[in-house]
Amino acid sequence: MTDTGYISKWKFMEELRRYRKGSVSRRHFLGVTGLGAATAVLGTAMPALRPRAALASSDIGDRVVLATWPNYHDTANFDMFTDATGAFVQVNVFGSNEEMLAKLQAGGSGWDVFVPTNYTITTYVSEDLIEPLDVSKLPNYDADAFDPRFSDAGTVDGTLYAVPKNWGTTGFAVNTSHDGGTSLTSWKDFFDRTKDDFSGRTMVHDYQLTTIGNALKYFGYSFNSVEESELADAERLLIEVKPHLFAISSDYQPAMRSGDAWLTMCWTGDGKQLNADMPEIAFVLGREGGEVWSDYYAIPKGAPHRDAAYALINYMLDPQVNAREVVAHGYPVADANTNALLPEAILNDPILYPAQDLLDALEFGAAATLTDPNRAELLARFKSA
Amino acid sequence: MTRRERNWLLVTPAAAWFVVMLVLPLSVIFVFSFGERGPAGGYVPAFTFEQYANLPARFTAFKNTMILAPLGTIAAMLIAYPLAYQLAVRTDPKWKIILLVLVIVPFWTSILIRSYAWIFILGGSGLPALLEMVGIEGVRLIYTPFAVLIGIVYGYLPLMVFPIYVSLDRLDKRLLEASADLGARPFSTFLQVTLPLSIPGVATGCMLVFILLMGEFLIPALLGGGKVFFVGNALVDLFLQSRNWAFGSAVAFTLIVIMLVTVTVYMRLIARLHSGRQDISIM
Amino acid sequence: MRIYAFCVYLFLYTPIAIIALFSFNAGRHASQLQGFSVQWYVRAFRNPFVMDALETSLIVAFVSATLASVLGTLAAVGLQTMRGPARAVFDGVIYVAIMIPGIVIGIATLIALVTVFDVLNPLLASLWFEDRQPPRLSMGIGSLIAAHTMFTMALVIVIVRARLASLEQVLGEASADLYATPLATFMQVTLPLIAPAILAGFLLSFTFSFDDFIIAFFVAGSETTLPIYVFSSIRRGVTPEINAIGTIVMVASLLLLIIAQLILRRRPER
Repeated sequence: MTDTGYISKWKFMEELRRYRKGSVSRRHFLGVTGLGAATAVLGTAMPALRPRAALASSDIGDRVVLATWPNYHDTANFDMFTDATGAFVQVNVFGSNEEMLAKLQAGGSGWDVFVPTNYTITTYVSEDLIEPLDVSKLPNYDADAFDPRFSDAGTVDGTLYAVPKNWGTTGFAVNTSHDGGTSLTSWKDFFDRTKDDFSGRTMVHDYQLTTIGNALKYFGYSFNSVEESELADAERLLIEVKPHLFAISSDYQPAMRSGDAWLTMCWTGDGKQLNADMPEIAFVLGREGGEVWSDYYAIPKGAPHRDAAYALINYMLDPQVNAREVVAHGYPVADANTNALLPEAILNDPILYPAQDLLDALEFGAAATLTDPNRAELLARFKSA
Repeated sequence: MTRRERNWLLVTPAAAWFVVMLVLPLSVIFVFSFGERGPAGGYVPAFTFEQYANLPARFTAFKNTMILAPLGTIAAMLIAYPLAYQLAVRTDPKWKIILLVLVIVPFWTSILIRSYAWIFILGGSGLPALLEMVGIEGVRLIYTPFAVLIGIVYGYLPLMVFPIYVSLDRLDKRLLEASADLGARPFSTFLQVTLPLSIPGVATGCMLVFILLMGEFLIPALLGGGKVFFVGNALVDLFLQSRNWAFGSAVAFTLIVIMLVTVTVYMRLIARLHSGRQDISIM
Repeated sequence: MRIYAFCVYLFLYTPIAIIALFSFNAGRHASQLQGFSVQWYVRAFRNPFVMDALETSLIVAFVSATLASVLGTLAAVGLQTMRGPARAVFDGVIYVAIMIPGIVIGIATLIALVTVFDVLNPLLASLWFEDRQPPRLSMGIGSLIAAHTMFTMALVIVIVRARLASLEQVLGEASADLYATPLATFMQVTLPLIAPAILAGFLLSFTFSFDDFIIAFFVAGSETTLPIYVFSSIRRGVTPEINAIGTIVMVASLLLLIIAQLILRRRPER
């Protein structure tokens, strides 16, 4: 990011005024102000915009781009955001943190807000891909209301980069009408039964962390292992079960709903959504352990619509809005203010809040797994095997 | 201005464009293919053959591509030929154009959307459910190599029909009449007159489809469920998941070499088969 | 034979019919019909992302097809009488351009341009005047147009050259015999004769660019073309909005074709 030299402030404001009045197109505006396709620089020109920040809430532009995970929002909330601010929300869905990182590394993602998982944030910071957050633009963010276990990772070296969205676990969902009366309770069951009575009906994530991590748990290794011999065991297992898989995809709800798939690695909220509509689908945490995680809202470096990005994050953090999100997607939040608005039934739901002994066995993902070349290559090899 | 100078003037803009947008990128991936992956992904300069040594790790992707691309091409050809024949030889000229356009129209809907329609058709509540009603149970179609093959044939059929139609349409109908007058049965007329004359069209269609299939990514990604992997999918994974630009470059470069060799050999063969006529290639 | 043709058309149109059918679905899901509605068409037209993506796609397709047709035609004419090693090199480049899969073009262009920009941007910044924001090169509509033009230009050259090969010798010489300058020969004789080939090249280029997903996916930077929009929507779980877009695009291209056909019909046969 270059921050030497500014476009003349007067000229910039002039063009901005013309742009706002609608007499020039966005492209003209970006071109003339020297921003070009690199709207990235808008960020560095922000000091010139500060005096206008007070107007921001009413004039944030007509769009905001959100990069997030599948089935992770109440779309009605977006519609209400659009009604309130005039900004449409474009949702881009991803299947893994690696994919998000790759897109940001290649430059020009065009995103305003993205949803990184706890263990990735330090890498985004060291790669200079994430913007420090200005808390004054997030009045709805009440840091003290959050359980620090699920909000810690947003702060790196004392700087706030991300605010908590939801937390959850990675277990599996199983259609119990096909389990022949013997329930699955562990990752050992998950993989062994896949080779047996669930053959051709199982899905695993297209995501190194969980697919490799859960295969590691089969052997009782750490979910985050980067030990070569342990990864070799996991790879052998994965390649052995591959012929028995229905698909390798992080978007497993449609197949589970249609009955094409009976068993899948599954995140809390997907488990809740499936179970709510089809009670025969159970959400199970592997007895050996697995992953507990926390997702965050963050703004990538060079976000083209920063005001809208802050407005969207702030809106989503509103306990009323957040509570509607939880009801819709079934992922717990670590925010006491939101929880106070949620019905008892949700707060006592064993899918959202698993028994303590199961929870204790879980691990947070480790930053090393994101950049470890062996894990990345292992998953790619498994998929192309 | 001499003719020579004029020619250079005419050719220069295009040449410059090719240098920047084709020669440069290909040179970059050639150089990168001898490098190494950076600590958080990407590329760091090096000189190593490690990436090429690692190619067997993508053997299955290359194998799938080398099997399904020719298979898909042949399947598309076998389905397209009778239709093109019907359109060119047996159809009232008034209807010809309309029917031909109808073959191409689906091509204008995004391949993405069309493939998505196939996910629905081949999925559990589509065709398998219909088959179950007539008593055939347990048929699984979606996320299989067969689904990918269907998607391929469907996606590229128009590209195959068109050149075959053109070559058959150019065919002098009097030849067919002459052959019939000489007492040849329709089938032997077809074998001895029509088929040889339509070979250029078939060859062109096959090559077009084959080239596109070798780099295919979308259809296996959508209809293969992440299990039926082409080189294209391996490439996308290397750049968008494991962020290994060096190895990705080596895979890409290998794919280019394989294609150039296959296609060149193919064109030579066809040219020889067709007694040295040059109008076969798409060049 | 007729039954066979009918079956093939059935095969071709069943998915299209399903797409169109679900675009009128009243419900949210693209797999369960819940009554008739045109709300998804209204939504698509109101959605600024769809309209923007459509605009970007049209601009990219039009600009790259125009560039490809003009530069490609010039090159084809220049190559026609060119001989020697330069010609051989040029032929080789065109051959490679057509042969290389889009996915390789996309990836190679991305990493080449990103690498070059990383070198050029600090350079530009250091050369720039103190009080101006230095221009920053990055992936976007420019790189997308450049990549599409490269590929489609190769197509245009091939198509136009095929046409030229069958004409120029005879006609060019005849015209030169009549003391016409090369330029006049070109404008008055050659160009009208190769015009259909140029038009065909333009249309092919336009179609290719408008429909391309894989190259755009890599080189478009933060720009969204229609296929990219569709792709990211498919991963979110398709709503009938996508079906509506697909149906609109198909109907629009069909209409254009019919209009073009009518215009051509009016002109007397050559």
